[in-house]
Amino acid sequence: MSGPGTSAAAEESIPDIPTRIRTGLSAGFRTSLKIIKVSVPLYVAVTLLKGTPFLDLLGKVFAPVMGIFGLPGEAAFAFVAAFLLNLYAAIAVIVPLHLTPFQVTQCGLMMGVAHNLVVEGGVLSTTGARGGVLTLCRLVIACAAGLLLRGLWSLWEIAFSWAMALPGIS
Amino acid sequence: MMDLLLPALLGGLKLSAKLILIIVPLVTLFEVLRYLPVFRRAGNVVEPMMRGVGLTRDAAIPLFTGIFLGIAYGAGIIIRVAQQKGLPARELFLMGLFLATCHSVIEDILIFVVIGGNGLAILVVRLGLAVFLTGLMSRVWKPA
Repeated sequence: MSGPGTSAAAEESIPDIPTRIRTGLSAGFRTSLKIIKVSVPLYVAVTLLKGTPFLDLLGKVFAPVMGIFGLPGEAAFAFVAAFLLNLYAAIAVIVPLHLTPFQVTQCGLMMGVAHNLVVEGGVLSTTGARGGVLTLCRLVIACAAGLLLRGLWSLWEIAFSWAMALPGIS
Repeated sequence: MMDLLLPALLGGLKLSAKLILIIVPLVTLFEVLRYLPVFRRAGNVVEPMMRGVGLTRDAAIPLFTGIFLGIAYGAGIIIRVAQQKGLPARELFLMGLFLATCHSVIEDILIFVVIGGNGLAILVVRLGLAVFLTGLMSRVWKPA
Protein backbone atom coordinates (compact mmCIF):
# COMPACT_ATOMS: atom_id res chain seq x y z
CA MET A 1 0.00 0.00 0.00
CA SER A 2 2.06 2.94 -1.13
CA GLY A 3 -0.34 5.35 -2.70
CA PRO A 4 0.40 9.05 -3.03
CA GLY A 5 -1.39 9.71 0.28
CA THR A 6 0.98 7.58 2.36
CA SER A 7 4.17 9.20 1.05
CA ALA A 8 4.02 12.14 3.47
CA ALA A 9 3.64 9.77 6.41
CA ALA A 10 6.57 7.67 5.23
CA GLU A 11 8.83 10.72 5.08
CA GLU A 12 8.91 11.11 8.86
CA SER A 13 11.06 8.48 10.54
CA ILE A 14 9.38 6.23 13.08
CA PRO A 15 10.76 6.53 16.63
CA ASP A 16 10.98 3.38 18.78
CA ILE A 17 8.41 2.61 21.47
CA PRO A 18 10.34 3.96 24.53
CA THR A 19 10.92 7.25 22.69
CA ARG A 20 7.24 7.46 21.85
CA ILE A 21 6.24 6.82 25.47
CA ARG A 22 8.67 9.51 26.58
CA THR A 23 7.27 11.95 23.99
CA GLY A 24 3.74 11.18 25.12
CA LEU A 25 4.52 11.51 28.81
CA SER A 26 6.37 14.79 28.39
CA ALA A 27 3.53 16.20 26.27
CA GLY A 28 1.10 15.02 28.96
CA PHE A 29 3.26 16.58 31.66
CA ARG A 30 3.31 19.94 29.86
CA THR A 31 -0.47 19.81 29.50
CA SER A 32 -0.80 18.92 33.20
CA LEU A 33 1.18 21.99 34.23
CA LYS A 34 -1.06 24.09 32.01
CA ILE A 35 -4.17 22.53 33.57
CA ILE A 36 -3.04 23.21 37.15
CA LYS A 37 -1.87 26.74 36.38
CA VAL A 38 -5.22 27.67 34.84
CA SER A 39 -7.79 25.47 36.58
CA VAL A 40 -6.88 25.87 40.25
CA PRO A 41 -6.95 29.70 40.39
CA LEU A 42 -10.15 29.89 38.32
CA TYR A 43 -11.89 27.19 40.36
CA VAL A 44 -10.99 28.98 43.60
CA ALA A 45 -12.07 32.37 42.19
CA VAL A 46 -15.48 31.12 41.05
CA THR A 47 -16.08 29.18 44.27
CA LEU A 48 -15.38 32.29 46.34
CA LEU A 49 -17.35 34.60 44.03
CA LYS A 50 -20.39 32.33 43.91
CA GLY A 51 -23.30 33.84 45.79
CA THR A 52 -21.68 37.28 45.87
CA PRO A 53 -23.53 40.22 44.24
CA PHE A 54 -20.83 40.33 41.55
CA LEU A 55 -21.53 36.92 40.06
CA ASP A 56 -25.29 37.34 40.56
CA LEU A 57 -25.18 40.59 38.60
CA LEU A 58 -23.07 39.02 35.84
CA GLY A 59 -25.59 36.19 35.72
CA LYS A 60 -28.54 38.55 35.38
CA VAL A 61 -26.89 40.56 32.59
CA PHE A 62 -26.16 37.49 30.47
CA ALA A 63 -29.26 35.48 31.38
CA PRO A 64 -31.21 36.48 28.22
CA VAL A 65 -28.37 35.42 25.86
CA MET A 66 -27.44 32.24 27.72
CA GLY A 67 -31.12 31.37 28.12
CA ILE A 68 -31.40 30.87 24.35
CA PHE A 69 -29.18 27.81 24.75
CA GLY A 70 -30.80 26.61 27.96
CA LEU A 71 -27.93 27.87 30.10
CA PRO A 72 -27.90 30.07 33.22
CA GLY A 73 -26.43 33.59 32.91
CA GLU A 74 -23.40 32.68 35.04
CA ALA A 75 -22.28 30.33 32.28
CA ALA A 76 -21.18 33.41 30.31
CA PHE A 77 -18.11 33.53 32.55
CA ALA A 78 -17.22 29.99 31.44
CA PHE A 79 -17.57 31.03 27.79
CA VAL A 80 -15.15 33.93 28.27
CA ALA A 81 -12.66 31.48 29.80
CA ALA A 82 -13.14 29.04 26.90
CA PHE A 83 -12.83 31.67 24.15
CA LEU A 84 -9.72 33.37 25.52
CA LEU A 85 -7.98 30.44 27.21
CA ASN A 86 -8.93 26.79 26.83
CA LEU A 87 -11.39 24.12 27.89
CA TYR A 88 -9.63 23.38 31.17
CA ALA A 89 -10.20 26.97 32.21
CA ALA A 90 -13.85 26.69 31.20
CA ILE A 91 -14.29 23.46 33.16
CA ALA A 92 -12.78 25.06 36.25
CA VAL A 93 -15.53 27.69 35.98
CA ILE A 94 -18.33 25.23 35.18
CA VAL A 95 -17.83 22.79 38.06
CA PRO A 96 -18.39 25.27 40.94
CA LEU A 97 -21.55 26.53 39.18
CA HIS A 98 -23.24 23.10 39.64
CA LEU A 99 -24.95 22.86 36.26
CA THR A 100 -27.39 20.12 35.18
CA PRO A 101 -26.18 17.27 32.92
CA PHE A 102 -27.82 18.94 29.93
CA GLN A 103 -26.11 22.24 30.69
CA VAL A 104 -22.71 20.56 31.05
CA THR A 105 -23.27 18.78 27.73
CA GLN A 106 -24.33 22.05 26.10
CA CYS A 107 -21.19 23.80 27.36
CA GLY A 108 -19.04 20.89 26.16
CA LEU A 109 -20.56 21.07 22.70
CA MET A 110 -20.50 24.82 22.16
CA MET A 111 -17.09 25.33 23.75
CA GLY A 112 -15.73 22.31 21.92
CA VAL A 113 -16.42 24.15 18.67
CA ALA A 114 -15.28 27.60 19.84
CA HIS A 115 -12.35 27.77 22.26
CA ASN A 116 -8.79 29.02 22.43
CA LEU A 117 -9.75 31.36 19.57
CA VAL A 118 -6.64 33.52 19.72
CA VAL A 119 -4.07 30.72 19.39
CA GLU A 120 -6.01 28.44 17.07
CA GLY A 121 -7.04 31.33 14.82
CA GLY A 122 -3.33 31.93 14.30
CA VAL A 123 -2.65 28.28 13.43
CA LEU A 124 -5.51 28.13 10.95
CA SER A 125 -4.36 31.27 9.14
CA THR A 126 -0.81 29.92 8.66
CA THR A 127 -2.21 27.07 6.55
CA GLY A 128 -3.35 29.73 4.10
CA ALA A 129 -6.98 29.59 5.17
CA ARG A 130 -8.53 32.84 6.38
CA GLY A 131 -8.02 32.75 10.16
CA GLY A 132 -10.36 35.62 10.98
CA VAL A 133 -13.18 34.27 8.85
CA LEU A 134 -12.82 30.80 10.37
CA THR A 135 -12.89 32.21 13.90
CA LEU A 136 -16.14 34.01 13.10
CA CYS A 137 -17.44 30.76 11.55
CA ARG A 138 -16.63 28.90 14.77
CA LEU A 139 -18.68 31.32 16.85
CA VAL A 140 -21.63 31.02 14.46
CA ILE A 141 -21.31 27.22 14.29
CA ALA A 142 -21.12 27.03 18.10
CA CYS A 143 -24.44 28.89 18.33
CA ALA A 144 -26.00 26.67 15.66
CA ALA A 145 -24.78 23.55 17.45
CA GLY A 146 -26.17 24.86 20.73
CA LEU A 147 -29.62 25.43 19.25
CA LEU A 148 -29.51 22.02 17.55
CA LEU A 149 -28.61 20.22 20.77
CA ARG A 150 -31.29 22.06 22.72
CA GLY A 151 -33.92 20.98 20.18
CA LEU A 152 -32.68 17.39 20.01
CA TRP A 153 -32.48 17.13 23.79
CA SER A 154 -36.07 18.26 24.32
CA LEU A 155 -37.28 15.90 21.57
CA TRP A 156 -35.41 13.09 23.32
CA GLU A 157 -36.95 13.98 26.67
CA ILE A 158 -40.46 14.09 25.21
CA ALA A 159 -39.96 10.73 23.50
CA PHE A 160 -38.52 9.30 26.69
CA SER A 161 -41.42 10.47 28.85
CA TRP A 162 -43.90 9.06 26.32
CA ALA A 163 -42.11 5.75 26.31
CA MET A 164 -42.15 5.64 30.11
CA ALA A 165 -45.88 6.40 30.10
CA LEU A 166 -46.62 3.40 27.89
CA PRO A 167 -48.33 0.56 29.74
CA GLY A 168 -46.05 -2.34 30.57
CA ILE A 169 -42.90 -0.23 31.07
CA SER A 170 -42.14 0.81 34.58
CA MET B 1 -11.69 33.32 55.02
CA MET B 2 -9.41 30.30 55.46
CA ASP B 3 -12.34 27.93 55.96
CA LEU B 4 -13.68 29.04 52.57
CA LEU B 5 -10.37 29.09 50.76
CA LEU B 6 -9.14 25.66 51.78
CA PRO B 7 -12.06 23.60 50.40
CA ALA B 8 -11.98 25.70 47.23
CA LEU B 9 -8.27 25.03 46.77
CA LEU B 10 -8.80 21.34 47.45
CA GLY B 11 -11.67 21.22 44.97
CA GLY B 12 -9.55 22.89 42.29
CA LEU B 13 -6.71 20.45 42.85
CA LYS B 14 -9.07 17.48 42.77
CA LEU B 15 -10.54 18.65 39.47
CA SER B 16 -7.05 19.15 38.01
CA ALA B 17 -6.05 15.66 39.17
CA LYS B 18 -9.09 14.16 37.44
CA LEU B 19 -8.30 15.94 34.18
CA ILE B 20 -4.62 15.01 34.34
CA LEU B 21 -5.47 11.34 34.94
CA ILE B 22 -7.45 11.42 31.69
CA ILE B 23 -5.03 13.43 29.58
CA VAL B 24 -1.62 11.89 30.33
CA PRO B 25 -2.55 8.25 29.50
CA LEU B 26 -4.52 9.45 26.45
CA VAL B 27 -1.66 11.47 24.97
CA THR B 28 0.86 8.69 25.70
CA LEU B 29 -1.37 6.02 24.16
CA PHE B 30 -1.88 8.16 21.08
CA GLU B 31 1.85 8.77 20.71
CA VAL B 32 2.49 4.99 20.88
CA LEU B 33 -0.26 4.02 18.46
CA ARG B 34 -0.03 6.78 15.86
CA TYR B 35 2.71 5.13 13.79
CA LEU B 36 0.89 1.80 13.41
CA PRO B 37 0.41 0.73 9.78
CA VAL B 38 -3.34 0.55 10.39
CA PHE B 39 -3.49 4.31 10.76
CA ARG B 40 -1.29 4.90 7.74
CA ARG B 41 -3.56 2.79 5.60
CA ALA B 42 -6.70 4.37 7.01
CA GLY B 43 -6.44 6.95 4.22
CA ASN B 44 -7.72 4.37 1.70
CA VAL B 45 -10.74 3.52 3.81
CA VAL B 46 -11.84 7.08 4.43
CA GLU B 47 -11.24 8.33 0.89
CA PRO B 48 -14.84 7.81 -0.31
CA MET B 49 -16.14 9.56 2.80
CA MET B 50 -13.78 12.46 2.26
CA ARG B 51 -14.91 12.86 -1.33
CA GLY B 52 -18.42 13.38 0.04
CA VAL B 53 -17.29 16.55 1.78
CA GLY B 54 -15.19 17.76 -1.16
CA LEU B 55 -11.75 16.70 0.11
CA THR B 56 -9.06 14.57 -1.57
CA ARG B 57 -6.74 12.11 0.12
CA ASP B 58 -4.00 14.74 0.26
CA ALA B 59 -5.99 16.32 3.08
CA ALA B 60 -6.38 13.03 4.99
CA ILE B 61 -3.39 13.35 7.30
CA PRO B 62 -3.99 16.96 8.41
CA LEU B 63 -7.74 16.31 8.66
CA PHE B 64 -7.48 13.27 10.91
CA THR B 65 -4.67 14.79 12.95
CA GLY B 66 -6.99 17.70 13.66
CA ILE B 67 -10.01 15.54 14.40
CA PHE B 68 -8.18 13.39 16.94
CA LEU B 69 -5.37 15.62 18.21
CA GLY B 70 -6.79 19.10 17.98
CA ILE B 71 -5.71 22.20 16.15
CA ALA B 72 -3.19 23.57 18.64
CA TYR B 73 -1.47 20.24 19.40
CA GLY B 74 -1.63 19.00 15.81
CA ALA B 75 -0.56 22.37 14.40
CA GLY B 76 2.90 21.15 13.37
CA ILE B 77 1.56 18.31 11.25
CA ILE B 78 -1.34 20.32 9.81
CA ILE B 79 0.86 23.21 8.66
CA ARG B 80 3.67 21.00 7.32
CA VAL B 81 1.45 18.69 5.26
CA ALA B 82 -0.70 21.56 3.99
CA GLN B 83 2.40 23.27 2.61
CA GLN B 84 4.10 20.07 1.35
CA LYS B 85 1.07 18.99 -0.61
CA GLY B 86 0.26 22.49 -1.76
CA LEU B 87 -3.42 22.01 -1.01
CA PRO B 88 -5.62 24.33 -3.08
CA ALA B 89 -7.47 27.16 -1.35
CA ARG B 90 -10.80 25.38 -1.72
CA GLU B 91 -9.59 22.29 0.13
CA LEU B 92 -7.92 24.36 2.82
CA PHE B 93 -11.17 26.17 3.42
CA LEU B 94 -13.24 22.97 3.53
CA MET B 95 -10.73 21.30 5.83
CA GLY B 96 -10.68 24.37 8.06
CA LEU B 97 -14.46 24.41 8.21
CA PHE B 98 -14.62 20.72 9.11
CA LEU B 99 -11.95 21.08 11.78
CA ALA B 100 -13.50 24.24 13.20
CA THR B 101 -16.64 22.25 13.96
CA CYS B 102 -15.08 18.92 14.82
CA HIS B 103 -11.58 18.75 16.27
CA SER B 104 -9.78 17.21 19.22
CA VAL B 105 -12.87 15.08 19.77
CA ILE B 106 -11.46 12.46 22.14
CA GLU B 107 -9.83 14.79 24.65
CA ASP B 108 -12.49 17.52 24.53
CA ILE B 109 -15.35 15.09 25.00
CA LEU B 110 -13.70 12.99 27.71
CA ILE B 111 -13.01 15.97 29.95
CA PHE B 112 -16.67 17.01 29.75
CA VAL B 113 -17.80 13.44 30.44
CA VAL B 114 -15.65 13.55 33.58
CA ILE B 115 -17.69 16.48 34.91
CA GLY B 116 -21.07 14.93 34.03
CA GLY B 117 -21.76 15.71 30.37
CA ASN B 118 -23.20 13.36 27.73
CA GLY B 119 -20.29 12.49 25.43
CA LEU B 120 -22.34 10.75 22.77
CA ALA B 121 -24.62 13.77 22.33
CA ILE B 122 -21.61 16.06 21.89
CA LEU B 123 -19.95 13.73 19.38
CA VAL B 124 -23.07 13.16 17.30
CA VAL B 125 -23.92 16.86 17.01
CA ARG B 126 -20.35 17.93 16.23
CA LEU B 127 -19.65 15.23 13.67
CA GLY B 128 -23.08 15.57 12.06
CA LEU B 129 -22.81 19.34 11.81
CA ALA B 130 -19.24 19.14 10.43
CA VAL B 131 -20.23 16.69 7.68
CA PHE B 132 -23.36 18.69 6.85
CA LEU B 133 -21.66 22.09 6.68
CA THR B 134 -18.58 20.91 4.78
CA GLY B 135 -20.69 18.87 2.36
CA LEU B 136 -22.92 21.89 1.79
CA MET B 137 -20.03 24.29 1.19
CA SER B 138 -18.28 21.85 -1.17
CA ARG B 139 -21.37 22.03 -3.37
CA VAL B 140 -21.59 25.81 -3.12
CA TRP B 141 -17.87 26.29 -3.91
CA LYS B 142 -17.38 24.10 -7.00
CA PRO B 143 -13.84 22.86 -7.79
CA ALA B 144 -12.13 24.96 -10.45
